[in-house]
Amino acid sequence: MMNDPIALILVALLAPVASFLLLAAVPGLRRSGRPAAFVSIAAALASLAAAIRNWQLSGGEAVEPLRAVWDWLPAEKGPLATMGVLIDHQSTLMLILVTLVAALVQIYSLEYLHSEPPGSLGRYYAYQSLFVFSMMGVVIAPNLLQLFICWELVGVCSYLLIGFWYRKPEAARAALKAFWTTKAGDVGLLIGIVLLYRLTGTWDLVELRHLVEGGTVAAAGLGIITFCLYLGAMGKSAQFPLHVWLPDAMEGPTPVSALIHAATMVTAGVYLLVRTDFLFHQTPEVLALVAWIGGITALMAAILACVQTDIKRVLAYSTVSQLGYMMTAIGAGFASAGFLHLLTHGVFKALLFLGAGAVIHAVHSNEMKDMGGLFKRMPQVAIVFIIGTLSLAGVPLFAGFASKEEVLGATLAGGFMGPFLMLLTAAFLTAFYMFRVVFVVFFGPAKPAHAHAHADPHAHAAGGDPGFSMGAPLWVLALSALAIGGTFTLHHPESEFTLPGWLTPAAVTVALAGILMAWLTYQRQTISADSLAAAFGPIRRAALAKFWIDDLFEGIYRGVLLGFARIIGWTDRYIVDGVLNVISAWTLDGGDALRRFQTGRVGDYIFALAAGLVVLMLWMGGGF
Amino acid sequence: MTPEVVGFWVLAITLVGSALGVVLTKNLFHSVLWLALGLISTAGVFLLLDAEFLAAVQVLLYAGGVITVVVFAIVVTEKLVGEKISHTSTRLAGGIIVAAGLFGMLASIIQRAGLDKPRPEMTGDATAAIGMSLLTKFVLPFELLGVLLLAGLIAASYFARPEE
Amino acid sequence: MPLSAYLTLSAILFSIGLFGVITRRNTVGILLGVELMLNAVNINLVAFSRFHGTEVGMVFSLFAICITVAEVAIGLSLVILLFRMRRTAIADQIDWLKG
Repeated sequence: MMNDPIALILVALLAPVASFLLLAAVPGLRRSGRPAAFVSIAAALASLAAAIRNWQLSGGEAVEPLRAVWDWLPAEKGPLATMGVLIDHQSTLMLILVTLVAALVQIYSLEYLHSEPPGSLGRYYAYQSLFVFSMMGVVIAPNLLQLFICWELVGVCSYLLIGFWYRKPEAARAALKAFWTTKAGDVGLLIGIVLLYRLTGTWDLVELRHLVEGGTVAAAGLGIITFCLYLGAMGKSAQFPLHVWLPDAMEGPTPVSALIHAATMVTAGVYLLVRTDFLFHQTPEVLALVAWIGGITALMAAILACVQTDIKRVLAYSTVSQLGYMMTAIGAGFASAGFLHLLTHGVFKALLFLGAGAVIHAVHSNEMKDMGGLFKRMPQVAIVFIIGTLSLAGVPLFAGFASKEEVLGATLAGGFMGPFLMLLTAAFLTAFYMFRVVFVVFFGPAKPAHAHAHADPHAHAAGGDPGFSMGAPLWVLALSALAIGGTFTLHHPESEFTLPGWLTPAAVTVALAGILMAWLTYQRQTISADSLAAAFGPIRRAALAKFWIDDLFEGIYRGVLLGFARIIGWTDRYIVDGVLNVISAWTLDGGDALRRFQTGRVGDYIFALAAGLVVLMLWMGGGF
Repeated sequence: MTPEVVGFWVLAITLVGSALGVVLTKNLFHSVLWLALGLISTAGVFLLLDAEFLAAVQVLLYAGGVITVVVFAIVVTEKLVGEKISHTSTRLAGGIIVAAGLFGMLASIIQRAGLDKPRPEMTGDATAAIGMSLLTKFVLPFELLGVLLLAGLIAASYFARPEE
Repeated sequence: MPLSAYLTLSAILFSIGLFGVITRRNTVGILLGVELMLNAVNINLVAFSRFHGTEVGMVFSLFAICITVAEVAIGLSLVILLFRMRRTAIADQIDWLKG
């Protein structure tokens, strides 16, 4: 089994689902808290080990995809649908990312959520197991139907985990918002998948690739299909305008944010497009749309990140922005560049979220105004956070540098000048707002300790560096970021296009300029933050209102949905019920009219009797 | 023209006439008197049919008892009111049509039945035969009749008891 | 006289009695109409009995007369009772079972 990739992947897949079923079906185990956590963590580590072994066996890029499917929906001429696994280069790498981040997050959660009651903790780990399973299902799905099922399951898990603290109304609302917004995209995805099946007669990805690349599929119908598939990706990967759920989703516990909104769930959309890129290559108009929306998303989110005061919101918008980067690369036609950025981003964004979680855990507040000068109190966290920030900013030797370069190069090579400029501006802003966070949180004057940072039995010395459970994942991710960064900087990844010579220096300059700007503003206070705010006044106001997109959705909801509901309600009350009421009234009136036969007078009754008798005799007797 | 035929026609005319008198007179008391005449004529018809015992019973019970009771009732109700009770008729048209219709049907049925044979000879005494069957074949109804009359007696006296 | 003659006579009396029951306003008047009808039935019974040569019809008729007497007694006492309660003997005014 150790040498059979199919078996390995099955182990990786089934370990978490077994953990979930165990925790779901055995309430005693679940309610015990820490034992439940250990079950789930063990499953996640097993999956990670299987994924790594699978990668070792695969030996590099050009490997034939391995597929194993089992019949699922039987029908006359062969099964309607199959289930199984598809192992190729993309799924192998993605699997490692997913299992690695999942395992680290689960270990981290042990300490982060130590104050949760055991029943809640068990519930949390049950959800985590289910989530890992469903995300892996998306990754290794050999056909679109299985992918969709696992996709929906991922959505459910994100709802469960964002709304984990369900007694908090904001959390419940955020979970619902996430579910609804992604559901809007999912409708498009389902339509696209079904249309594709109708066009080609198969769900299977490998078969589809052969059909499309062999030229036997009419390109005419594909435009709608790829657009619908992109809609699904828009929802899950928070592209404009369906990005509104991601910042609100920060109501969930920080480890959840690290897992779902940095490394795994939001990347499902990007992964889908990477998986089906052979379809998209047939419809360049849709690809152009993808690129432009990606660029807009990247820039818009970067602007929004600059005005956030909650550290998690900054990271959330940063994620949206980076997703825009990935999509732009795909839209430019070079899915591999987007995929590379997906992998590196997964690592350092998870690192940043977990680091932010450590800070929040120590300071007991999400707001940056409550943090300051934390470098002295928690030097380890500060160091790993800075490593993550440098990766995000795209500084050489750190993880994000090469992948960001690839994305920019891809955009140029595809000829999308507009998005390219948007991405470049976003890069400057990214460096700026991330170092804003670094300077405000870790350097600068220390803020007075909060009132609730006291009677916590597990409290670290005045909220200092976290213990092993939280610290180890942080260092693992930080070292991975350094390793990836170093490898790629020295040994540039192969790309399908040539990078123009001026691109690398330009990108690095932009990043350093952003860092410098942040240093001047927030550390040296040479440039006053207020004057900056005044200078960009209108943009700033728009950004604080989140560009009114939330209000737009709310207006649509109130106007269209509720308005429609009111019409239907009126119809139900006055027309449907009205018909019934009229019938009832007629019945009652008819009864009242018939009542008049009962006069209560004996003479009338006898008369009726006799008359009836005569009539009866006439009728039966016939003639005289 | 046997005496029987003559007797029948006389009695028939009297009967019908008194019946019409019962239903058409405005005065209630006169109606009762017409009824008395009719009941006695019926007794005559029974005699024509060789049912002497029944004729006697008819006169005794009907003409005697029933008429008396009715007269008493009229007197009581009329007295209570203190004035003569008016009894104009209503539903005349309907009544005529229904009664005429019923009569037409019955007459046509009788006609079609073709019952024109003369009566058979009398064998034995009707009264003796009646008495015999009353105490053999019909003894149960006879006894029950006694019970019924008792019940009727009690009921009537209870209903008409003086007010408390 | 043939049987049909007696039967026709009985039918006439019955119809007249029915007419009286339908048209009379006074309760006692209605009862008189009922008497007529019962009388006609008796004639019918006796006639059939005689023309069949048996005495069964006459016994039946005897019973009918007796029951009629009981019925008249109770009926009239009910009329008196009703009169005491509502001060009226007019049937059309007794309509409390009006639906």
